[in-house]
Amino acid sequence: MSPELTDQTKKKIEEIASRYASKEAALLPVLHLVQHEKGFISQQEEKQVAHLLNIKPIKVKEVVTFYTMFNQKEVGKYHIQVCSNLSCSLLGSESLIDHLKNKLGIEIGETTSDKKFTLMTVECLGACEQAPCMMINFDYFGNLDKEKIDNILDNLE
Amino acid sequence: MAKILIDERECDVAEGTTILKAAESAGLQIPHLCYHKAFMPEGSCRMCLVEIEGLPKLELACSTQVRDGMKVSTKSESVIEARKGVLECLLADHPIDCPICDKAGECKLQDYYEEYGLFESEFNEEKEKRQKKIEIGKNLLHDQERCVLCRRCVRFLDEVTKTRELGVFQRGVHAEVATYDGILVDNNYSGNLAELCPVGAITDKDFRFKTRTWFLQSRESICTLCSRGCNIYVESHQGFSRFSLPKRVYRIQTRENQMINGFWICDKGRYDYSYLDQERLDKIVVNNSEDPQSWQEITSIVAGEIGRLFHMKRSSHIGLILQSWLSNEELFLIDKIFRNDINIGKISFLDPPEESSDDFLLTAERTPNRRGAKEIGFDLQPADWEKFLEDVDLLFVFASPIKGDTDFSPLKAALDKIEKTVLFASHNHEINSLFDMVLPMSLIAEKGGSLTNIVGSVQGFSPALDAPGNCKPAWQFLVDLAKKLMINFDFYNQFSSPESIREVMKKEIPYFREEHE
Amino acid sequence: MTDKILTQHFGLENLFKIDVYLENKGYEAAKKALTDMKADEILEEVKAANLRGRGGAGFPAGVKWGFVPKDIEKPKYLCVNADEGEPGTFKDRYIMTHNPHLLIEGIIITSFCVGIHTAFIYIRGEYEAVALRLEQAISEAYDKDFLGESILGTGFKLDVYVHRGAGAYICGEETALLESLEGKRGNPRLKPPFPASVGLFGCPTVINNVETVSNIPSIILNGAAWFCQVGLPKDGGTRIFGVSGMVKKPGIYELPVGTNLKEIIIKHAGGMMEGKKLKAVIPGGMSAPILTAEEIDISMDFDSLVEAKSMLGSAAIIVIDEETSMLDVLRRVTKFYSHESCGQCTPCRIGNSWINKIVKRMADGNGKREDLDKIIQLANNMMGKTLCPLGDAAAMPVLSIIQKFRKELESYIPLGN
Ligand SMILES: Cc1cc2nc3c(=O)[nH]c(=O)nc-3n(C[C@H](O)[C@H](O)[C@H](O)COP(=O)(O)O)c2cc1C
Ligand code: SF4
Ligand code: SF4
Ligand code: SF4
Ligand code: FES
Ligand code: FES
Repeated sequence: MSPELTDQTKKKIEEIASRYASKEAALLPVLHLVQHEKGFISQQEEKQVAHLLNIKPIKVKEVVTFYTMFNQKEVGKYHIQVCSNLSCSLLGSESLIDHLKNKLGIEIGETTSDKKFTLMTVECLGACEQAPCMMINFDYFGNLDKEKIDNILDNLE
Repeated sequence: MAKILIDERECDVAEGTTILKAAESAGLQIPHLCYHKAFMPEGSCRMCLVEIEGLPKLELACSTQVRDGMKVSTKSESVIEARKGVLECLLADHPIDCPICDKAGECKLQDYYEEYGLFESEFNEEKEKRQKKIEIGKNLLHDQERCVLCRRCVRFLDEVTKTRELGVFQRGVHAEVATYDGILVDNNYSGNLAELCPVGAITDKDFRFKTRTWFLQSRESICTLCSRGCNIYVESHQGFSRFSLPKRVYRIQTRENQMINGFWICDKGRYDYSYLDQERLDKIVVNNSEDPQSWQEITSIVAGEIGRLFHMKRSSHIGLILQSWLSNEELFLIDKIFRNDINIGKISFLDPPEESSDDFLLTAERTPNRRGAKEIGFDLQPADWEKFLEDVDLLFVFASPIKGDTDFSPLKAALDKIEKTVLFASHNHEINSLFDMVLPMSLIAEKGGSLTNIVGSVQGFSPALDAPGNCKPAWQFLVDLAKKLMINFDFYNQFSSPESIREVMKKEIPYFREEHE
Repeated sequence: MTDKILTQHFGLENLFKIDVYLENKGYEAAKKALTDMKADEILEEVKAANLRGRGGAGFPAGVKWGFVPKDIEKPKYLCVNADEGEPGTFKDRYIMTHNPHLLIEGIIITSFCVGIHTAFIYIRGEYEAVALRLEQAISEAYDKDFLGESILGTGFKLDVYVHRGAGAYICGEETALLESLEGKRGNPRLKPPFPASVGLFGCPTVINNVETVSNIPSIILNGAAWFCQVGLPKDGGTRIFGVSGMVKKPGIYELPVGTNLKEIIIKHAGGMMEGKKLKAVIPGGMSAPILTAEEIDISMDFDSLVEAKSMLGSAAIIVIDEETSMLDVLRRVTKFYSHESCGQCTPCRIGNSWINKIVKRMADGNGKREDLDKIIQLANNMMGKTLCPLGDAAAMPVLSIIQKFRKELESYIPLGN
């Protein structure tokens, strides 16, 4: 992981910031970019972003800790987020979560020792018609059952 | 203007006033935590909900503006119910450690619990785990368990100091106020946070566990540590004799004055108060030992010395060195007696040197009344001391050498050669021993009078503390002295208080006649 | 003409591409609006259509636009609410994925009508793929002169940007959305002032849901009268009902406003899953008070549901079966709101967490007699008393579930407790 943001990212940040009446408004898109590049947002990134957008680092942390999608620590290569909200749980998400815990040997919020998988539960993903569903990184997987999950996971590098 | 009814009480207030302010003007307090006069209403604590006739929901008193004919109830059943609901929630998330909390006695939460009898919590679940006693500033400790998330502190650091050392992290019930990356609150106004916090979540280490708030007497005064003249409360154990306490003053608090300091004071004004108690000179000292003579006798001696030179037409050999710790009234008297009546040759100022100022309240001047001295007509330029002291036979120095910040070295060598030297001082200081006579003076906090701040506002003050030992206010001494001198007896005989002096001063000096308050 | 307005062409392959969209009357409404109509005329038409907001509150779109001050120096903004966080809701995703140009066309007309030159689509962060699709569509629209410096040579300028959220249900609330767009925590703002006068960057701002905006082109093309006739006079058009839970065919169904709930579940969504019996239905996203099996013979429009003490909300229908424990439903609901409270105001921040803790304890088999009343009291502490409507949104389902299923809930409390 390189400590500095790439020039390309920095350029992109400038471009994004120009859309808004205040540079600060670019914070969420910029954090997405940075997380995309770095995997998570550490204090170092908070400070870099703050510097680029000309705001105080404390404000970046306020934002990072407010939104659940920003990872404050490293996550696995595959970030599995299983929906535990109502429609999904009606259709058995709970047993799927147990299945995943067993299969990966980790609890919710943990990462496998090979850093391949992180398991989390999330609130409604906006795909309830495919309940139960989950996200792996940004890919949606719906109408899940145990076999399907096994299939999906086994096919991940 | 809008005519409204609050709890059957009629009040006329300007259109656009909030219900909370309107109620206050009618003498009704509406409970509130997040609202603070210095900031825009935030509407987050929900303590201030009131009922407005004709509206389906309760509305916020802190942000809702009055309209003509509005009928507001601050005590209806639904209002009380809502208020209790808020308190119950806060209580569920609060340690209720009032017995060991420095805020106890002036904590809004505690007041409200008491008012609504809510000390028994029905909360039987696991409390959130939060940190206690986190250092967030040189003088500040933060207790996250006690925090009610009113964000007053964050708004202060955002809007007033613009330093923003505190932020709110996480969300929902996990939301918490904290510093970032170990960077402490470090600005010259940090002490306001402890005062601003409505509960004991931010406490002042300077005050921590020193005493209980309810033992303190709070009296109005003016800060004298720079020339802003911030309005303050001096809080002390006044004549509290059960213990022999090492000091009287336990803290300085802000006093609102929109024309001078708004709601705030700087950390210097807040924390550098030890001078009020430490190293105080409270005895008459003659030839370096405590003197049994009374003030009356001393005054006669001083008057005799002056009279002697005056009648020998040697007034020009009397020297007078001043500092602008003196009030307007005192400077006025000095001007009258020494310049007008006796017409002494030499008057000069020896103020402490300027220090750094900031772009908010703190000024570079380290005495409170240079502007007053100027308006009375004094020249504030320090003299060429060698020349000044050359043929002085009788020297008076009014000085309040706090922490030795005035440079007395130009005087030192000369003092020995002058026939008679008299120092009017408030503190013990190495310079004192060089004077023949040292007379103990009251501080601004111990007397009445007025001061003129850097921008020319004239502010009256009255004693916030009793004068220690044998200390006397300078004005009192000056009046007594003038009467003893018998030069203009009737004029001085009319002065029995600083106010009576000010009345005359107003007549004689146009500046003080005008509205500068 | 079919009664489908938004999903009519969903069957077409590549509808999301501008060429296919154009072949199917795409951007004709925008052309008509920008070249043949005055802003006032558009506003009157939208007002007359009684297009009520599809985001949840059902506020008439035309009336809202009318609140925006006309002669003002400041820029004005449009924020399209694509946060879609209300549990059970997924309709906007379908519109944006399958018919993004319809939304863009709606944005053009809305902006032209209100005098807006910058629009943001605030889309929930999880919808990354959808955001990419929108961005592609936007770039196509720029290429074809439907966006940019001078749209279709009319001199009307409009830029549209996609702005992604990052995981916070509260950012669907319009003022939290504005804060979030400004790069801050999603803390709702105190109202007044309302966004129409003080919104994004302190400027007048219109905030509308994706579905609301997507209805605009058809109103312009076919007229308000037609629109009302499709739906109800006071609640025009269709709704995209999103059905999920224990039905055979979960999915979206675009039907006229006022379609019967029972009909939607049984006829359109295929009825209950094999061997399941209907126990309760949440008719308008999780925030809507629950309906029992006996209460579902009801017209799905704003007013009828209010009358039944529930709400149409986002028209997301969650169907619950007999085997599901209402305590479990309550646990999901309270966990959600406790997790999503922004934490700004006391009754919501602490109340929701407290309720959730009690329910969790009950679900663990340690319920006590007094628990349900305590929950009711805490919910009442929020109802109508919080800074933003999330307090109500949290209280309503909880109160209705306890009221309607109290016996069942009590049965989970161990005897003697
Ligand atoms: C807690 C909360 C969450 C909301 N979430 C959404 C949402 O995800 N999408 C949406 O369009 N409106 C949402 N709303 C409603 C918006 O505040 C707002 O009313 C709506 O975007 C206005 O658009 P409309 O009039 O077109 O419906 C939410 C409201 C609340 C109180
Ligand atoms: S620390 Fe005090 S002032 Fe700051 S948010 Fe907490 S209670 Fe309010
Ligand atoms: S700014 Fe000056 S007057 Fe005000 S508190 Fe500080 S030192 Fe005292
Ligand atoms: S009701 Fe809840 S979500 Fe809304 S402002 Fe208050 S704490 Fe935040
Ligand atoms: S409940 Fe799981 S996606 Fe909506
Ligand atoms: S004082 Fe009004 S909400 Fe806090």
